[in-house]
Amino acid sequence: MEKAKISGFQLFVLIFLFEIGSALLVPLAGEAKQGAWLVILIAMIGGFLLFFVYYGLFQYYPDQLLTEYVRHIMGNFLGRIVAFLYILYFMYLAARVLRDFGETLLTFAYPHVPLFFANAVFILVVVYTVRKGIEVLARTGELFFVLENLLFMTFILLIVVSGMIHINNLKPVFEISGVEMMKMSFTETLFFPFGEIIVFLMIFPYLNEPQRLKKIGIGSLAASGIFLAFIMALNVAVLGVDLTIRSQYPFLSLIQSIEIAGFLERLDVYFLVKLMIGGFIKISVFTYVAVTGTANVFNFKEPSRLAYPVGFVILLISIVIASSYSEHIHEGLGAVPIYVHLPFQVIIPVFLLVIAYFKNRKKKQGFVPPKP
Amino acid sequence: MVSFFKNKGQMKKREKQKIDDKDQSKSKKLEYIDSSISANLDHMKKKTGNSPDIIVRTLKISQNPEIKTTILYVQGLIDNPSVTDFLIESIMKNPHLKEKLLPKEALDVISEEVVSLGGVESVTDWEKLFLSLLSGDSIIFVDGINKALVASTRGGERRSIQEPSTHLTVRGSREGFTESNATNIAMLRRIINSQDLWIESMKIGTVTKTDVSIMYINGIAKEGIVEEVKKRLKGINIDSILESGYIEQLIEDQVMTPFPTLNHTERPDMVAGNLLEGRVAIFVNGSPFVLVAPALFVQFFQSVEDYYNRFDIASATRFLRIIVFIISIVGPAVYVAATTFHQEMIPSKLLVIVAAQRETVPLPAVVEALVMEITFEILREASLRMPKVVGSTMSIVGALVIGQAAVQAGAVSPAMVIIVSITAIASFATPSYSIAISARIVRFGFIICAGVLGFYGMILAFIVLIVHLCSLRSFGVPYMSPLAPLNPEGLGDTFFRRPMWAFKERPKLLSSNNNLIREGDNQRPLPPESRGMKTSDKKKGEGNES
Repeated sequence: MEKAKISGFQLFVLIFLFEIGSALLVPLAGEAKQGAWLVILIAMIGGFLLFFVYYGLFQYYPDQLLTEYVRHIMGNFLGRIVAFLYILYFMYLAARVLRDFGETLLTFAYPHVPLFFANAVFILVVVYTVRKGIEVLARTGELFFVLENLLFMTFILLIVVSGMIHINNLKPVFEISGVEMMKMSFTETLFFPFGEIIVFLMIFPYLNEPQRLKKIGIGSLAASGIFLAFIMALNVAVLGVDLTIRSQYPFLSLIQSIEIAGFLERLDVYFLVKLMIGGFIKISVFTYVAVTGTANVFNFKEPSRLAYPVGFVILLISIVIASSYSEHIHEGLGAVPIYVHLPFQVIIPVFLLVIAYFKNRKKKQGFVPPKP
Repeated sequence: MVSFFKNKGQMKKREKQKIDDKDQSKSKKLEYIDSSISANLDHMKKKTGNSPDIIVRTLKISQNPEIKTTILYVQGLIDNPSVTDFLIESIMKNPHLKEKLLPKEALDVISEEVVSLGGVESVTDWEKLFLSLLSGDSIIFVDGINKALVASTRGGERRSIQEPSTHLTVRGSREGFTESNATNIAMLRRIINSQDLWIESMKIGTVTKTDVSIMYINGIAKEGIVEEVKKRLKGINIDSILESGYIEQLIEDQVMTPFPTLNHTERPDMVAGNLLEGRVAIFVNGSPFVLVAPALFVQFFQSVEDYYNRFDIASATRFLRIIVFIISIVGPAVYVAATTFHQEMIPSKLLVIVAAQRETVPLPAVVEALVMEITFEILREASLRMPKVVGSTMSIVGALVIGQAAVQAGAVSPAMVIIVSITAIASFATPSYSIAISARIVRFGFIICAGVLGFYGMILAFIVLIVHLCSLRSFGVPYMSPLAPLNPEGLGDTFFRRPMWAFKERPKLLSSNNNLIREGDNQRPLPPESRGMKTSDKKKGEGNES
């Protein structure tokens, strides 16, 4: 574990940027049509539940990484295996985001650049950051948070001024039934992006004010959930349901539709900045966690040396993960939530929490002096 | 603490080596002064290679028994009137010395009753003696005594106090630092009239033995930072210090960065302002540039005048400087990226103009930009170093060849010339020269990134730049504070400046935390009551509404 401390606000910013990182770009819960924003909010509440599970784990082991206390809970051998699986999971997620990101970039601006090259330069920047440690990443996040917000405010202003918002597009909210909505939020939207907060189990121990963690976690989840819901509602309100669902990147279409005074148009750079800052923070957090986790599991003294190899592995995974973008998306919507997200985000943590509860109860009982 | 790839083994080794070095210098044997004058003079001549600028003046005092005394000083380093009037004349004409004296008493009499100078002390070893002699003091030997008197007669020709040539301001003090440490420190003393202004001096440089003083305000400066500065200065082991730049490069936090992590200035009022925020100043004899540590990123965009002007004006200029800095970094890169990769982002009318201009240009935009930027750098470097007499030739050649001929020949597009000129002016508008140089280097990186991958490359470069800036520290203080880590209190003195009456506290990361209050409450100036439309809820007739 690195010797570092981050402040509560920094953690808030990291979680916020992490959550909206790549979720902003895709039509999140697009199947719910006009009710997409509602599905996101429901999933956010599910995210709170998951967060409480993780928070419970954190409270049992407030100064240890996930990969560390897994071994305490499940025993050294089994624990190491689970920890290693988690590292693979984080690396896989990093690779997925990287692939998403590279494909988006190529589709909308650089059709002639090879995917490998675009991904490679990006992961290079990520590795450079990861080598600097969590403190630097957190401080960078703070600056980007300000930048994002400034951009976002100007963006909202432009949308409003250009008069493209049609509230009627948002009606009827219950185009699909409430049951379907629930099903959707708890099988898809919960895992991506809200459940991914599990990586922060590897970052919580760096927080310098652990007693405020609950507020920070809930606050940042709520902020990002509302933000995402708002953007999705905006997409639908401006573009209409059909276009939003059919568009690969509704947010890009939204930005491209801005036209003011015959001068402010084609603000694609704005999309690019948003895409890259979000992707950068998300991949950096995953990579950082994979690096420290690997160092922790294999008792490696200098984690920074692992940054390059781990980054390279992520790069390779991102290339071989799927043969085409549609295959990549298909995997992401079909198999990944059930076979990957569900066990790693829900089943194993709940299982760990239950064992940890019993173990610690036993310990507590052991300390109670026997009655006379 | 900083980053988790610090090579601890290496650090320990270096520290150990430093300790070894110190032991060696301590174990050098001290040589003591002999009691015979002739032996002393011989030793002196041997040691100094018989240098002719060391003047030896032998006098006789006390008729019976006759005692010889010798005065030594270095020509040019001493203050002539004080040596002739208060040293030589006093000794020659003083009635006490005409009386009968034992050689043993003579030195005491000279020091206590004869020499009418401020500082007089006796020394016994040669090392101290040489140090004083070569810094401009006069040495008095008396035959038969194995001690010498050192009379402080430092002086000589120096540059007088002039207006500083960097950090110019319209409003504010016209004084600038000189090359003399004593003068510089006195200038600060005149500004800050407090016994808490503490100064510590040391000699650095095994050969040059340069005077280096650190100054801070006790109780306002953070002790940790002061200790750190002292520790780093004491760790320096080098033969010479010729300018404060030497010190700067030897004590900065990180070496591999284009950004300065120490500030330097020629203005006493700027140093005073920094000291009052809890910073530490380092004075180096022989350099008019005083170092200020720790330095933060935002500080390089601040001018002392910001505090002299009203806050709205000052905030506007600061904001302008930030924009200017960004232009000076990304200006040409944006042009390259937009014309090469993202033509669709340029409004169509503008695009037509740019494309028409670029039609004849044989080079790709990125090469064009690099060529023009390098040409400009050549011009600037040449105009800095060459004799002033040929300056006009330069500007004519530069303006004609680059401004006109190149465009007419179709080698570069006019738009590129405009961009490069704007960037050049922008880089001069940054108040601190040291950060302007950094921007110049970083700019080339941005141009290349933009040429390879357009805005994608530029944003990547931007991310690396931000990460790099966030990873820097200056004497343990994060370089980007108070922006990151965010300190809402400190934000009032960054890209804008809060009004003077709202400057309640000193910066938390720099100043000692139990002495943060800067000004009293209710400092906001208010018009006299009952003026204006509605300022008070007093009843009519109560006030003085004349």
